[in-house]
Amino acid sequence: MRCRSRLRLCSFFLACAATVTTVAAQAQNTPSDTSVATVKVTTTRDPVDKSYRKMIKGMERFEREHAYAPAASLRFQLLPRTPDVNMAGITLRLAGDTLSVKVPVEPDNSFVLPRNEQLLREDAAVLANRKTTSMTWRATIVTPGLPPGTRRLGDMRLECRVGVEAGLVSNSSPLFGWLSNALTSADEVCTSPNGNYLFFAERPLFAVRLRAGARSETLPFHFLYAGGGLPRAELPFCDCQVLLDRTYYVPLWDKAWPDDTLVEFEYMNNLPEAQP
Amino acid sequence: MSARSVFPALALLAALAGCATSPVPPGTQVPAERLAASVVPGTTTRAELLTTLGATKTVVFDSGYEAWLYQSPAGNGRFTEFVILLNPQGLVAKTRQGPTSTPAP
Repeated sequence: MRCRSRLRLCSFFLACAATVTTVAAQAQNTPSDTSVATVKVTTTRDPVDKSYRKMIKGMERFEREHAYAPAASLRFQLLPRTPDVNMAGITLRLAGDTLSVKVPVEPDNSFVLPRNEQLLREDAAVLANRKTTSMTWRATIVTPGLPPGTRRLGDMRLECRVGVEAGLVSNSSPLFGWLSNALTSADEVCTSPNGNYLFFAERPLFAVRLRAGARSETLPFHFLYAGGGLPRAELPFCDCQVLLDRTYYVPLWDKAWPDDTLVEFEYMNNLPEAQP
Repeated sequence: MSARSVFPALALLAALAGCATSPVPPGTQVPAERLAASVVPGTTTRAELLTTLGATKTVVFDSGYEAWLYQSPAGNGRFTEFVILLNPQGLVAKTRQGPTSTPAP
């Protein structure tokens, strides 16, 4: 547990180091480097746009490991990442070289990704009509019929596996993303105390508790608010920038908590009682 | 390995070495009885917390809410968390106690 916060902080140092090395490498590519071949690029793809192939791989992982959440189905969801993004009226499309397919987006900004072999062959991108860094993406796997204000740990274990496999976690720097992939796979992220896969509650959180039968535990403070130690200047590098008060981790790796464990939320504010 | 490829590797190693020694600041330690006597939801203010308990680990949100973390000794080197939620008006909105664990260094 102790190294969780260190590693989170560490990831920012790594991002900075990666950025510095990129600049350094670019500085060395002077005009006198005549040995470097010229490549003509006819199209560009924003590196933060989601890969259709990767998201389909995430869906395939969901099917393979459905036992974590046997009664749940898979959706994806768009969440705000920068303060100025308008989350109303988002449209989504799958863009291949010769084919473009619109994906219906629900009012809660969730969607189901259709499978299309031609788009897979064309290595399509999943594009939203927003700046790519303004949003983050997550898998949403929710067992129906859970009590209000709760989630199920097995659902979240599967969300993590699908989310990482699908490449949903946003990163500000392409090199940061490369580094993350080099150091972590879906299995490592979702089975290690240092995996640091962020979840977002529906409302600002005050406490998160785990309950399995007679056993109940409140999660430590550093499981909330992205560890509670991020300087404000570093928030733009985190998916949690505008959802900080809704951000939490759960011990996905701890097999002492079964998949049926309920994750209970205490919010900062109680909802007003419904009028009869 | 060329000099161009060695430099990024060295930079990353340096960054990792720095991470290995980065301390994590814990919350200020205050006896549980003093916390219970000093913090009253709906009454205690931010200024009173600073005066009676001192500054501690704090997370400030865009909404104006703040979460403050204190720790009280629980014996055998363990500490119990005491978390305070301050509303945008600077009043204690709610508190919670626990869990008890060995604190980060």
